[in-house]
Amino acid sequence: MTIHHHPFDEPLIGFAAGTLDLGQHVAVATHLTRCSRCRDVMHLMEHVGGAVLAGLSPTPMSSDAFARMEARLRQPVVHEVRCERPGSGALDDMPGLPAFVRLYSAAPWKWIAPGVRLRPIRLPAESDTRVFLLKSAPGTKMLEHTHTGTEMTCVLTGSFSHEAGQYGPGDFDLGDETVKHNVMVGPAEDCICLVAMRGELRLAGIIGTLIQPFIRL
Amino acid sequence: MMSADSQRASDGERWAGLIEAVAVRQDRSAFATLFEHFAPLVKTFMRRSGVTEASADELAQETLLMVWRKASVFDPSTAGAAAWIFTIARNLRIDAHRRGRRGGLTETSDVDAEFQVDESPGPDSRLAAAQAETRVRAALAELSEEQRRVLELSFYQEKAHGEIARILHIPLGTVKSRSRLAMNRLRNLLGEFS
Repeated sequence: MTIHHHPFDEPLIGFAAGTLDLGQHVAVATHLTRCSRCRDVMHLMEHVGGAVLAGLSPTPMSSDAFARMEARLRQPVVHEVRCERPGSGALDDMPGLPAFVRLYSAAPWKWIAPGVRLRPIRLPAESDTRVFLLKSAPGTKMLEHTHTGTEMTCVLTGSFSHEAGQYGPGDFDLGDETVKHNVMVGPAEDCICLVAMRGELRLAGIIGTLIQPFIRL
Repeated sequence: MMSADSQRASDGERWAGLIEAVAVRQDRSAFATLFEHFAPLVKTFMRRSGVTEASADELAQETLLMVWRKASVFDPSTAGAAAWIFTIARNLRIDAHRRGRRGGLTETSDVDAEFQVDESPGPDSRLAAAQAETRVRAALAELSEEQRRVLELSFYQEKAHGEIARILHIPLGTVKSRSRLAMNRLRNLLGEFS
């Protein structure tokens, strides 16, 4: 399957640099597991990171740094015991998620609108971005909406389309306050997307205004 | 006399050789050489990322400790020594940042796992490390000082283009165009390999 929609350079650099917020990191990682082209760019940026590191001017280490470290070399490695997490396995059946995301716990699916269900994913560290799965029935027409922050979407199964084109498995879509979307879900099957959302989703029009308080995205 | 470039290229091979010596025979003197060279660079990297002096020292030690422990998984065919050490430092910086934040970790997080995205089957077109290192350096050298600076700043912390503009006292549009030019050059480089 060919991927047509890729992240811009900024999130790819951010991923390689390790500066993305965890929620956004998860969204970009979901695309990267499917897209070897963007993986190449990301790894290239890790080489750039290596070159940046190599080109820095050194800061002298504290005088006992090496001695302290050497003492630690002799100590046996203590592996953190990883307990089975309560929610682990919850996302196992979800195709297209990176392995580390499948270990996260997730809340049950909840109804948010006709034909649309949402499943929050619980991140293991604080994040300004909320991550959830969004499942929409075939043919669902999503309400016209804008955002107050950045929204990253990666398709896991099925497809949707809006003004910028058609999106299938692995495709990545970035929405922000400048984008107004009329999303139509493909006719063949449920469309499941991973969404990382910063800020609030604003539904346009009177219906949006009426149901907005109940959805609480 | 060697040119600066070939000097650096052979440096890369030398560091990779030292890491392999650590992997194969727990070579302490090879490790000491790596520590002496890389720990102070990692410390600068941490300082620029906004980490305090004491923590930067600790994190640089921690990074080199990981070099010792993980030396056997270092694959010189896919990562250069500097790039590999960069990724270790990057992951430790993320971990330290999470631990330090108010609220902190809600559960154990495994930063290394979060970067394992090479899962899909099919030929992997990752650049051969030796080539990549030299070429990336050459490409960076071709960038203008300003383009390089914009690119470099994105490695230290979450710097939206807007913030980089503020730091460099240049308009946002200029940051965007410099960043785009820098990336186009690097992408061309990628094109040459595939």
